[in-house]
Amino acid sequence: MKAVAIGLKIPDNTAFTAAVALRRLGIAVERLERSEIWFFGGDGSALVERVKADETIFNPNKHYVTVLDEAVPRSGEVWIEPLDNVTLSPSTNSGRALSKGGGEKGGTAWRLFGPNEATLDRESLGSAVERLLCNPAIERAVY
Amino acid sequence: MSARIAVPVFPGTNSEDETLRLLRDCGGDAELVHWSQASSLAQYDAYVLAGGFAYEDRIRAGAIAAHDRMMDSVIEAAESGKLVFGICNGAQILLEAGLVPGTGSIRRPTAAFTRNAPAPHFVCKHVYLKLAIDPARCAITAALPEDAIVPAWAAHAEGRLAATPEHLREIVAGGHLAFVYADSTGAVDDGAIPNGSALGCAGLVNRAGNVLAIMPHPERDAWNFNHLDRREGDDVLATSGGSVLFRSFVQALS
Repeated sequence: MKAVAIGLKIPDNTAFTAAVALRRLGIAVERLERSEIWFFGGDGSALVERVKADETIFNPNKHYVTVLDEAVPRSGEVWIEPLDNVTLSPSTNSGRALSKGGGEKGGTAWRLFGPNEATLDRESLGSAVERLLCNPAIERAVY
Repeated sequence: MSARIAVPVFPGTNSEDETLRLLRDCGGDAELVHWSQASSLAQYDAYVLAGGFAYEDRIRAGAIAAHDRMMDSVIEAAESGKLVFGICNGAQILLEAGLVPGTGSIRRPTAAFTRNAPAPHFVCKHVYLKLAIDPARCAITAALPEDAIVPAWAAHAEGRLAATPEHLREIVAGGHLAFVYADSTGAVDDGAIPNGSALGCAGLVNRAGNVLAIMPHPERDAWNFNHLDRREGDDVLATSGGSVLFRSFVQALS
């Protein structure tokens, strides 16, 4: 399974609001990227086409897709995953929700950038997670 | 001079008018306070956080609002013992702010009102809330009888109490479970729970008993025109309606 990140190519108001809130909390975020992580079988251009054809999760007018080299968060990024997938239906044995095209839902990826487009260090990222991005009662953070 | 009640309005709050109207009809001296007037919030004696979608529920329901400047004043007020009452999105904000159940620290939530189960859909359903604590345990419920039944409308997609087993045990042991879902006779069973909420929870109270958060809307079953067994006189408060909880709130301030 390959991990893909589906983000917005239109302005992301949620990411903007999160960045403003984090700055208010004293975390030096210049910019924030938000995307949804999905897991798909396949590889290469066929994988990209498969994601782009999955109309339940991808709208070519709004989204872009990035195939990740590894199924782990990138530098400066955290994946926030639900602890309790009871309401995600239909789902796989792993509890991940399924898209119409067979993709398995991962978490929401938040990638935080500081000055000069440098990604935030682990300590600052952890602070952002603990103070805003993750409610540990219902979510877990994957670094 | 009567106690002054603030109804804070965040960008995206949408139930402030009926909340304000019911507070006034129950005898409360209430006013709306918009986010641009945050600095004035401290002068009020009590706070009612209304339903809606503050900040469009960005990140999570209530998460951004919990860090808003207005909540600085509400948190300070709650810690000084003033009454704070949250309904629906207002309840979600209070959980994200850590004020209820209050088993963690401020703005470090230990529970959430999150996506309904088993179907993750929006629910609009008439429900009954049963008081699950001694009325005197919470200042806002102090004027209610034991085992009081409060009619209300559940109108949410994210009203299911969820927490780790450890924190659920703390909620029970600490007497934080203020209201549970029940049928019209007060019988508590799974069929009365509209959203899969853990413990059948419809409302939580903090340790001190001055902060109450409930998911359903009693203000939408308050006047004869919207009460389930409606009678003549549309603008008259229904005596068996959700106004009983608002009356108790206002009474606690007198």
